[in-house]
Amino acid sequence: MSMTKKAIHKPTAAEDELTTRRRFLTWLSGVGLVGSAIISIFSNLIFIKPRATYGEPNRFPIGRPEEFPPGTRISIDDKRVCIVREGNRLAAISTTCTHLGCIVAASETGFACPCHGSRFDQDGNVTGGPAPKPLPWYQVNLAPNGELEVDKDTEVPPGTYITV
Amino acid sequence: MRVALAISSFVALIIHGIVFYDQFFHQWEDHQTAYFEQARGLATKDAERAALEGRRPRIEQIIVTQFGEARVDRCTTCHIAIDDPRFKAHAEPLRTHPNSEALGDTFVNGRWERRHKFSDFGCTVCHDGQGRGLETFYAHGEDHFWPEPLLGYTTQETWRAEFKPKLLGKEFMQANCAQCHTEENFKSTPLVSRGRQLFFEKNCYGCHRIEGMSTGTLGPDLTEVGKKFKLDYLWESIVEPRANSAVSSMPKFNLSDEDVKSLVVFLKSRRGMNFAETSLERYRARIRESKVEPATQPTTEVAGVSAAARGERLINERACAACHKIGDRDGGIAPDLSFEGLLRDESWLMDHFRDPRSRVPDSIMPAFGFSDSEFLSMTQYLKSLTTPPPTATPAEAYKNLCARCHGEKGDGHGLIALYLDPYPRDLTKVAFMNSKPEERFIMSIKEGVPGTSMPAWGKVLNDAQIRDLLNYIWQTFVREPRRELKARNVPAHNPVAMSGESVARGERIYLQRCTGCHGRKADGKGPNSLDILPRPRNLRNRDFINSVSDRRLFDAIMYGVQGTAMPPWIDYGLSQNDVGDLVNYLRSLNQTN
Repeated sequence: MSMTKKAIHKPTAAEDELTTRRRFLTWLSGVGLVGSAIISIFSNLIFIKPRATYGEPNRFPIGRPEEFPPGTRISIDDKRVCIVREGNRLAAISTTCTHLGCIVAASETGFACPCHGSRFDQDGNVTGGPAPKPLPWYQVNLAPNGELEVDKDTEVPPGTYITV
Repeated sequence: MRVALAISSFVALIIHGIVFYDQFFHQWEDHQTAYFEQARGLATKDAERAALEGRRPRIEQIIVTQFGEARVDRCTTCHIAIDDPRFKAHAEPLRTHPNSEALGDTFVNGRWERRHKFSDFGCTVCHDGQGRGLETFYAHGEDHFWPEPLLGYTTQETWRAEFKPKLLGKEFMQANCAQCHTEENFKSTPLVSRGRQLFFEKNCYGCHRIEGMSTGTLGPDLTEVGKKFKLDYLWESIVEPRANSAVSSMPKFNLSDEDVKSLVVFLKSRRGMNFAETSLERYRARIRESKVEPATQPTTEVAGVSAAARGERLINERACAACHKIGDRDGGIAPDLSFEGLLRDESWLMDHFRDPRSRVPDSIMPAFGFSDSEFLSMTQYLKSLTTPPPTATPAEAYKNLCARCHGEKGDGHGLIALYLDPYPRDLTKVAFMNSKPEERFIMSIKEGVPGTSMPAWGKVLNDAQIRDLLNYIWQTFVREPRRELKARNVPAHNPVAMSGESVARGERIYLQRCTGCHGRKADGKGPNSLDILPRPRNLRNRDFINSVSDRRLFDAIMYGVQGTAMPPWIDYGLSQNDVGDLVNYLRSLNQTN
């Protein structure tokens, strides 16, 4: 009601000041509410993805390069990777079957799933059976303490080796 | 209204902002960022640079499943350089964990190989601390009420200030090494070994039980003490036994700080289940416990030193004066040994040493597992203490011989009365004092009371002195003239012949009439016993019962014991034959095999 009354009158200097003050308050409320809303949205979005779960860590050390002599293919079953070393080059191939998640065993020709018969070649490419995709390769790093570290969070293109 | 809305919405924004910042900007991210930057600078090889490529701050965690419950260790989130040898000289938290032989690390081909890999052991297995915490306050457990603060590095606000400097140091970590390395004298845990040695040397094992190690029952069970208490509490309990329980009877041992530290570390390592133990091994240890021989010091005979001198040394070393009075040292718990040579003979002393309860059935003295030759030396020494205390006047005699148990006021509340069972007689109880013939008191003083701590003072005082002492007691404490005793119809000998039927009848009467106070086991610990002073007799105190005549038993049962809760059972319908059966039952309980 007072608004209409004031709109009719020509604003005096005092009323002008009041308008400025009112505009400022409106701005303050607006920034406060909208800002809070934006921060809330961001918080919630960040919150959706947990920063830590209680699963086994996905980056883990597997030992020194000397423990994998050239030409070996050593499966680490509890970590579900196979370490392949050829000469100075070393890589980690997943041993989790891309079909139903069985642990594939290293075989003469590569890998074979004991349950559903999927077969993979030495590089993890599908050569038979129901598996839809080749076995992923994981990033291997040389940790500062001289141990090899497999990072299952990072997949690398097949054929990527690190030199040790 | 507008002003309020504007201000509140702006305040909401600020609070939101603070919460957002607090929740999503962490100190550990700064630590990790700093680490990545410095590591990049330190990297010399392409491989090292490649390893750092793509690494962003994130919560690092190690899940350790081998040691008890699965542990989540997020310590490496802040201590990210823990296994990076390039960060040796950096400040915490970006610092390499030191390598040392003591940790089992080996130095091969110019570099250290860790024995305990962080990916297998985590951090809290050794250090304690709250593995899940991501802020110093939470992770290090700097809260008095949290179970496991960082071992030996953190001191609490509420800890006693004078202990603070003593409780810091990595030596305390040895307590956790001993969680797996349980072998005695493990070379990396000298403090645990020293503490264990002290545990036996200072006779802690006499009172305290540690499963598989000792069987004492006098003090608290220490099997899981390391799990329950923190370093400060353990330290305090050792240096000030009465800090936590005002009635604690644990002596003050006046140990050096180094010894206390060893004991604290040893006790902290006692956590019941060890990581390295299987339940089968634990079961075996429990079975073994019944046969375990407490570790004794090697008995080395010192040439040219007499047995008594060796005994004196042993008695000093083993801190007997922590409980007993010997000369001017007084532990205030157990009887005076200053003139023990006058009171006890050798066989009594030896029996009492080997098993105190063989002579005083309710004694709280632990059966210390020393060797017989040591007991013999100590007996020889005690036998040599034959200087009687001054007893020129009856008052002096009372003060020097009686007051320690019966009290200055004769009310039975002497210095050590609390630790004696049976409790010393209250000499101010007129009803009792007047109900017994004078001869009985004379005999008690002169011959002692078998099965109790009352010694035979006839070996120190002559008959006249005993009579004077009794008169003194009467004048000072009873303060009433002797009353004439009413003649009582009590048989001198049990008229009921000892037989199986009589014992069975006696048992039936006992169960009906006596168990309320004397207990079903006749050990004086019936349900009513707690409310009664003096406590009901332990009727299985063999030495005592066997020393008491039939006449006295009949007298006590039929006419009651004045000044105690024992009623005259003749008033409740027990015939003389019933009492005879009861006496037979009691005698049968205490027959020597």
